Amino acid sequence: MTPRATAILLALVAIGLTIAQDVWPARDWYHSWQYITLLALAIIVMTGYAWNARDGSDGVAGRRLGLAMIGAIATAVAGVLSGLIGPDTVTVVGSPGTVTPVPDLGAAAFFAGVDPASLARNDPVITLRRRGADPIDIGSQPTLDGLSVVFTQMRPAAYVVARDEHGNRLTVTQPNNPSFLSPVLLFRQQQQIRDKTFPMDTFATPAVNRIARVLYFSAADLAAFRHGLPGSRDAAGAVLSVADNAGNTRGLTIAASGLPVNVAGLQITITLGMYPVLVIASAPQPAVMIGGIVLFVLGCVWAAFARRDRARAEAAVLAPQ
Amino acid sequence: MLAGAPAVSFDVARVGGGSDSLAAYRGKIVLMNFWATWCPPCKEEMPALEQLYRADRSRGLVILGIDQGESAATAGAFARAHGVTFPILVDEDQQYASSYVSVGLPTSVIVSRDGHVVRGIDGAQTFAEFQAAVGPLLAAK
Repeated sequence: MTPRATAILLALVAIGLTIAQDVWPARDWYHSWQYITLLALAIIVMTGYAWNARDGSDGVAGRRLGLAMIGAIATAVAGVLSGLIGPDTVTVVGSPGTVTPVPDLGAAAFFAGVDPASLARNDPVITLRRRGADPIDIGSQPTLDGLSVVFTQMRPAAYVVARDEHGNRLTVTQPNNPSFLSPVLLFRQQQQIRDKTFPMDTFATPAVNRIARVLYFSAADLAAFRHGLPGSRDAAGAVLSVADNAGNTRGLTIAASGLPVNVAGLQITITLGMYPVLVIASAPQPAVMIGGIVLFVLGCVWAAFARRDRARAEAAVLAPQ
Repeated sequence: MLAGAPAVSFDVARVGGGSDSLAAYRGKIVLMNFWATWCPPCKEEMPALEQLYRADRSRGLVILGIDQGESAATAGAFARAHGVTFPILVDEDQQYASSYVSVGLPTSVIVSRDGHVVRGIDGAQTFAEFQAAVGPLLAAK
């Protein structure tokens, strides 16, 4: 492979690796020594090629490709800096209806309130708000925000409605979570059962001294031991274990989403769905990255014209007077 | 709870019929008290809240007792039994307490005349402590 082809190939690899941080953000690999080394190697080769080609040793095209190399080097440097000194990926978990300051973005994240129906539809969104700026709805597609890429990831959630044996609504609390009085479980813990890990959360109904542990089972997990459980076969379910304040188990049942179950003197309706968390990952400096890519493209196009320009010059010299 | 942030409001049922919300009291100093009938400190605090309401309602103070997660019948029976005369709202979906990131019950939130959170107070308060919290706001024009 010629030095020119090697330099162009490594430029494309470096640009691709840098763009990847925006397109597939929040990968640990971007902060690894392998990623940084690959980009650094590309920078060294591109710099060497551009330096050697500046005196025309690789022809006019080689000299013009120097511009493309500068662009690719700038892009790669942005990628290296983001990977090397950019902050690690942060996941912000917020309870529905709450506002969480996000210092990394200089903004506040508004986590949409939910009711059972909107949770079941997986509707909820996260909105970023800054003083004096329009709010930005964040979705699952990565969005560039300064030196960060932000996007949402959907995670299992459950809306709990608890009633006593007379049908009276009961307060639901979450003694182990920051969202003490939210009826929405976000399954911040996990439980290992044999070789599989299941999302787990707990809630309490202090009025009747009950504490319930809830394991989230996906539709696929549930299908393995669905024994006449009502509801859609494609729906997720929850395993409920209810204990009293002394820790004595008072009942165990499987609940289909949205359908009430009676257990340990409670009527519990758990509506399962997905609720977003906000993920913030470092990103290459956008102006440097985009400017570098533009320079690279312009340099390549300019270099491509070198052959035509030379052919025209030769034709002009050979043309009869 | 974000002091200085706009105070969010939800329409919920009101004991005695109809619905009510924080937003309906814009222009007044509002003390929202999140409570539940099963919560012993909430019961202990109720007389102080009632005393505050009787003392300062003529100065423009509104107290909203917002029951968290229980039925209207349960909250209403409790309010009658304890001689509560300020409005009792029934927030079955616990929207107020979860939005204001209440870390326990009772929690009180003081809202300014322009609808912003002034401060949140965790735990049961005495009449004197409540007066110290809302007095300067009521005095300010």
